[in-house]
Amino acid sequence: MTKALFGAAAMVALMAGPALAQEPLKLEVFHWWTSGGEAAAVQEFAKEFDAAGGQWVDTAIGGSGSTARPIGINRIIGGDPPGAMQFNTGTQIDELAAQGLLRNLDDVAAKEGWKEALPPAFYEAIVRDGHVMAAPVNNHGQNWLWYNKALLEKNGIAEPTTWDEFFAAADKLKAAGVIPVAVGGQPWQLNLMFNSILLGEGGKDLYMKVYKDLDPAAVTSPEFKKVAETFGKLRDYSDPGNANRDWNVATGMVISGKAGFQFMGDWAKGEFVLANQVAGKDFGCILGPGEKNFVMGGDVFIFPKLKDEQGTKAQDLLATVFMSKDAQVKFNAKKGSVPVRLDVDNSQLDACAKIGVEVLQDPAKQIPATDILASQDVVQSLQDVVGEYWATPTMTADEFVGKWNDTVAQAK
Amino acid sequence: MATATMTASTTALEPSGPRPKRLTADRVGLYVFLVIAAAFFLLPMYVMIVTSLKPMSEIRLGNIFSLPEAWTIEPWLQAWNSACTGLNCGGIKVGFWNSIRILVPSVIISIFIGALTGYALSLWRARGSNLLFAVLLLGAFLPYQVFIYPLVRIYSSVGIYGTMAGIVVTHTIFGLPLMTLLFRNYYSSLPIELFKAARVDGGGFWAIFFRLMLPMSTPIIIVAVILQVTGIWNDFLFGVVFAGRENLPMTVQLNNIVNSTQGEKLYNVNMAATILTALVPLVVYFVSGRWFVRGIAAGAVKG
Amino acid sequence: MKTRRRMNVATYVALFPAFIVVVFAYLGTMLWTVQISFTESKLLPTFAFSGLRQYERLFATSRWSISLENMVIFGIGLIAVCLVLGFLLAAALDQKIRFENTFRTIFLYPYAMSFIVTGLAWQWILNPTLGLQQYVRNLGWTDFQFDWIIRNDRAIYVVIIAGVWQASGLVMALMLSGLRGIDQELWKAAKIDGIPTWRVYFNIIIPMLRPTIITSVVLLSLAVVRVYDLVLALTGGGPGISTDVPAKFILDYLFGRANIGLATAASSILLVIVLVIITPWLYYEYFRPKRERR
Repeated sequence: MTKALFGAAAMVALMAGPALAQEPLKLEVFHWWTSGGEAAAVQEFAKEFDAAGGQWVDTAIGGSGSTARPIGINRIIGGDPPGAMQFNTGTQIDELAAQGLLRNLDDVAAKEGWKEALPPAFYEAIVRDGHVMAAPVNNHGQNWLWYNKALLEKNGIAEPTTWDEFFAAADKLKAAGVIPVAVGGQPWQLNLMFNSILLGEGGKDLYMKVYKDLDPAAVTSPEFKKVAETFGKLRDYSDPGNANRDWNVATGMVISGKAGFQFMGDWAKGEFVLANQVAGKDFGCILGPGEKNFVMGGDVFIFPKLKDEQGTKAQDLLATVFMSKDAQVKFNAKKGSVPVRLDVDNSQLDACAKIGVEVLQDPAKQIPATDILASQDVVQSLQDVVGEYWATPTMTADEFVGKWNDTVAQAK
Repeated sequence: MATATMTASTTALEPSGPRPKRLTADRVGLYVFLVIAAAFFLLPMYVMIVTSLKPMSEIRLGNIFSLPEAWTIEPWLQAWNSACTGLNCGGIKVGFWNSIRILVPSVIISIFIGALTGYALSLWRARGSNLLFAVLLLGAFLPYQVFIYPLVRIYSSVGIYGTMAGIVVTHTIFGLPLMTLLFRNYYSSLPIELFKAARVDGGGFWAIFFRLMLPMSTPIIIVAVILQVTGIWNDFLFGVVFAGRENLPMTVQLNNIVNSTQGEKLYNVNMAATILTALVPLVVYFVSGRWFVRGIAAGAVKG
Repeated sequence: MKTRRRMNVATYVALFPAFIVVVFAYLGTMLWTVQISFTESKLLPTFAFSGLRQYERLFATSRWSISLENMVIFGIGLIAVCLVLGFLLAAALDQKIRFENTFRTIFLYPYAMSFIVTGLAWQWILNPTLGLQQYVRNLGWTDFQFDWIIRNDRAIYVVIIAGVWQASGLVMALMLSGLRGIDQELWKAAKIDGIPTWRVYFNIIIPMLRPTIITSVVLLSLAVVRVYDLVLALTGGGPGISTDVPAKFILDYLFGRANIGLATAASSILLVIVLVIITPWLYYEYFRPKRERR
């Protein structure tokens, strides 16, 4: 009996032999998408990769990326690099590329027509010294204003399109005993809110001068000061409990009708969906108020240089999969972001994502997120300034402007 | 020797404060103080437990002190069994055995080397030993994170980067200052006559360590075990950097469940996962608590 | 003579692992840190010397000076409260009370919990719209106010409260074991002499607990210098930057902001501060020539 079994096993092994030549291309993928919804999105990539002849080996380290990134970077330096690793789209990859630690993806990019498919700012964000050094995967809109539809209707408020309308609406909500704006008082969230105002009220040119050119004159302009004052004014429209509040708790306040509005990126949609709310029906979304722009942030994957040829082949395959139309649509639908490619079928997207995709069709409205425009040092040091200004009502707009310029001068 | 230790610990079994009177105002005050203190310590635990038993829809309402309206143990099951951390949806149980496999050798080796170093520093003279101790104590004040880059470089040149050996060595390195301090202070508090008598009897360095000092160290070893078990079990950073993909400890799963920035946050699952992760050190406290207290006493009596 | 030399060799052999660790891990890292702090290193360390630029920036950054100030406030507060509370709890538990085991475990358990989530529980409890303040107001005291966590000038004290919650149990355990080591005869003698209990504690017991107190202070100081997860979970360093601490500052620049140069400069300053504070103590405690070996 046992002998027979062994015989059968041997037969199977023999038959499987030739198949081994076609061994799947194994690749370890390192990322920080760990929550249930994020994992479901990653699963779409993994499925596509495996179906294309790859074998996805998953390494996930949760956190904001500032937890996972140093761990991955240390692995690259320590000589045990993952096959592919997540970064935020932007300047984070500069040094790794400059030190020659990353694969150049020129061939894949040329073959798959990345340059034509991507918004120009995203293409620029993955090119270093003329070579493509990363594969972008998603486009997260960062400057959304979310609101509770039922609450606005109840108080006779129409969707605000200008800042004046917004504050009129906020006043009405306040009078009705509702917290007008749900704020999470963490520096990064406050900074998103500040940038929404900077773009909506100050406009695209001011935003680019402030973040891309790091131009001190733009910061001392009356327009920027006005933005600072508007931001400061929002303190009176939030509640005292905003200190260090998580973004999703703030979203929860909008969902439950405790608060009317929230400034947050498109990932906030996930919370609405979890609470069984439907975009455009239960909750509304605005890019703005004021000038309509779409702040594009997102994630890319870099491919560290590997020693084995199989790994390199697997990297090419994965890069192709990441940018394929099919995988882009499936992944982003689950992730809550929009596809990085502008040439995909958007019929599956929800009402809010559709608004985003429409705005994105106009290249003038594609605004790169701060991560793409300036170094992490500059961006996050400025978050400190915004956070300090928010938490210190006695600080004047002029002091804020002065501090902004000092910080830029030091961190640049 | 053994008898001496035994008697010492039995005498210390009894609380040694002034003898209690009958139920007086003082006694009542004492219990009131203890109960208020206990309430302060338990308040966060209460919030965590009720939160872990509520569905998310109730948590969103923000009544943190209220009991659940619809009780559920789903978050606990999810935390242990099925919470996703990336593509692997196996909950925090995935890393449990890895954590144990890291914990046991790390605790043993770090305490042994700490005891040996403390012994050599306190009872023997070696040139430069004070300097050694000073650098050790000073280094203990540097933030852990600063060590990572240099250690990665050293480990990868020695070939232990990303291995079980790597993580055990790391815990030994970072346990050394505190362990040395504990044992050094303990051994210098022991009556020097014991040591001198052993020397007169012809005991050498190792004989005195293994036959006299180690058997007398039970109390301080238990303190050391509690400190090291807590520290090593809760470590996330070193585990994730130095242990390698195959050996990631449970705290990595905990981190992945709890810390996602853009994904949804299931507070009930987070709370359950945190309590579950803390169970091992808690069990160690429960089990060793009695000896912990009695143990030091045994040493102190002799000192 | 011969035996002595052999023993010396054994001592050196025993100290060898510690020696290796000190030289390669501790001394090596310290020197590396100081060296990198004089460079322009960003994401990856480079060795291009850039003088004192990082230090200039460091001291021009208000966040850093606030961090140092907070470390002092937090340190003094945490150590003082933990020692007092730890001692009181230990003394109370030492009165032959019932359920001693239960009480002891309740006081000690926070030490085992990861702060990432227990900090969140504290954050909720202390949040004025979510936690205690609202709860008491709902009970009828509508004027009740406890909103320190959202006030720039008070939030650091809230961090002390959570720190005390986590660390005082350990101090209690150390103190309790110290108390248990004290001879019963001493209490009897004091009773016969008619000395009041509080005087026995003050004049006799506390001086006898000196080694325990020192161990506790060293443990707590380490926690003070290294504290960051507590602050991160509780206040995120806020409101604004008002509760930032050095270790969090260093961590932010080391990892998130990819500025190793500035982070190592901050670490070096921290190292110098610790050196200045602990050197006299180390000398007094361990290295001063002793008349008698205890």
